[in-house]
Amino acid sequence: MWTIKRFPAYWLLPALLPVALMTIYPVAYALWVSLHSVTLLFPGEPFVWLDNYKRVVTSNYFRDALGNSLLFTALATPLVVIVGTLVALFLQRRFFGSQIVRSIVLLPWVLPGAISAVLWIWVFHPSFGVLNGLLRDLHLINGSIPWLTSPRLALISVVVAHVWTQIPFAVVLIMAALSGINSETLEAGAIDCRSPLKRFRHIVFPEIKAMIVVLVVYNALTAFTSYDLVYAMTGGGPGTATTLLSFQIWRESFSMYDFGTGSAVAFIVVAISAVLIAAITRALPSDLFASE
Amino acid sequence: MRRNLNPFLTFLFATLIVLFAGGPVILSAVGSVVPDRIMMDASKGLFSEGLNFETYRYVFTGQLPDSYLAENANRAMISDAARQVPRSLLNSSVIALSSMVLNLLLGAPAAYVFARYVFPAKKLTFMFLILSPLVPAVALVTPIYMMIQALGLVGTQAGIILVHTAKALPFTVLILSVFFRKMPNEIFEAAALDHCSRFQAFWRIALPLALPSVGATGLFAFMLSYSEYMFSMVLSGDAATRPVSVVMAALARNTDVSWSLLNTGIFIAIVPTLVLVVFVWRFVVEGLLSGAVKG
Repeated sequence: MWTIKRFPAYWLLPALLPVALMTIYPVAYALWVSLHSVTLLFPGEPFVWLDNYKRVVTSNYFRDALGNSLLFTALATPLVVIVGTLVALFLQRRFFGSQIVRSIVLLPWVLPGAISAVLWIWVFHPSFGVLNGLLRDLHLINGSIPWLTSPRLALISVVVAHVWTQIPFAVVLIMAALSGINSETLEAGAIDCRSPLKRFRHIVFPEIKAMIVVLVVYNALTAFTSYDLVYAMTGGGPGTATTLLSFQIWRESFSMYDFGTGSAVAFIVVAISAVLIAAITRALPSDLFASE
Repeated sequence: MRRNLNPFLTFLFATLIVLFAGGPVILSAVGSVVPDRIMMDASKGLFSEGLNFETYRYVFTGQLPDSYLAENANRAMISDAARQVPRSLLNSSVIALSSMVLNLLLGAPAAYVFARYVFPAKKLTFMFLILSPLVPAVALVTPIYMMIQALGLVGTQAGIILVHTAKALPFTVLILSVFFRKMPNEIFEAAALDHCSRFQAFWRIALPLALPSVGATGLFAFMLSYSEYMFSMVLSGDAATRPVSVVMAALARNTDVSWSLLNTGIFIAIVPTLVLVVFVWRFVVEGLLSGAVKG
């Protein structure tokens, strides 16, 4: 790696400036709001120190929502990365129709979130859903399974739908990373390691590790902060079974019009995501974050 | 060197992938050509009345489907939002393509220096980029709206493009720098011997070699913008500037709308994007599999 003595402003500022414009002031504003009592009902915005945060942590939804969010992230992130890697490894092969399968994998990507939710409601609907119909036709079940109305199944169902929406991106990136591997490395590996599993572990995995770390971080962040698909599918129910912490930002701000508390939830989410990301990069060290 | 998998297993995996990835979309394609009353009637076969393209006709020409003109039909099942789908596709293409081009133009040079050079404040700027997307977008809607308003860009596509570009840039830089770092050092040493400037090494060597990967990253930026909902909704104005995610959400949230009309909207919205994405992806895969990046 070569050294540049001065800060390479021409190279970096075009990327840094738009990001700074859209983060520094808005984040500072949100932080200010989270420390004040900003509601639609009462005029004036008195400084309340950490009251908003206290209100969130002691609220009746906090425990459930945090648990659900962590469980959702812990289920969805590895699933996306593992399934995505498997699909990418498989799609590298040429077989009859491989071109078509490679294109179909991208389908979930071209659907806006609201639409994915509608399609998956249709799959999981208890009475006229496709999944129950299929299971009934195969005589595996008699009645109907309440996919979206039983607490445990609802969370699993929304995880499946979320994984579905995120798979294409993982496949695209892993395929791109796989193709960057030197072909001589692979040929040498084919001679040294007979079992495909070992070959993956010792030769392919180290080469795509940096990309996998990027994907894990990105997916953990997405799973922990996005809520629209889940909310559109279950509305957070049944009960609080699929209520996510990130959804409370929206609910406090735009449903209760308590912007201070909404921003406080947001910064609690930020703190937890930061811990998650630090844990991931610690557990999966890669030279990506090294300064060398 | 790739050994062949058992053909049966290959077929099985391929079928599973197609069913999982494409299943819900196939459902929507079927749903768009089958009228509601047949769909909800378990005793009738799905295609017992043949294919029905009335809802497609409605979206493109505004002529109401015959079944809704019958007496005591529920008028609420028709939504004007469906008619906005073709226009919104055009809006979304403009926004997403601009955001993609801006992302690559602004992000690639930064990714290149991050991947291949050590410079002052490298760690600081890199951490800033990586940590900037941490704050959930919902919490930033109000201040960003106020900023875009101060710039006079509310209700224009430029405002949405600006927000989407800034939203995708950190990830674009991160992904591209992974690709640039994977390139063999020897090429750049050779370039330095030939008195290539830093810009020439980037523009003439790194970028062409990484073109398929740059394409994959561009796809990411395109799709992030195309499917983004919240800022698109808040910042877009009337029907003429609304992108597809906003129109589709309006259609999907309206629980009265007929299934077949909704599915028609979904299908019309999918096809052009899918064609575009598959076209780019073809190019990316061809480049990747033919080994353009291999050292």
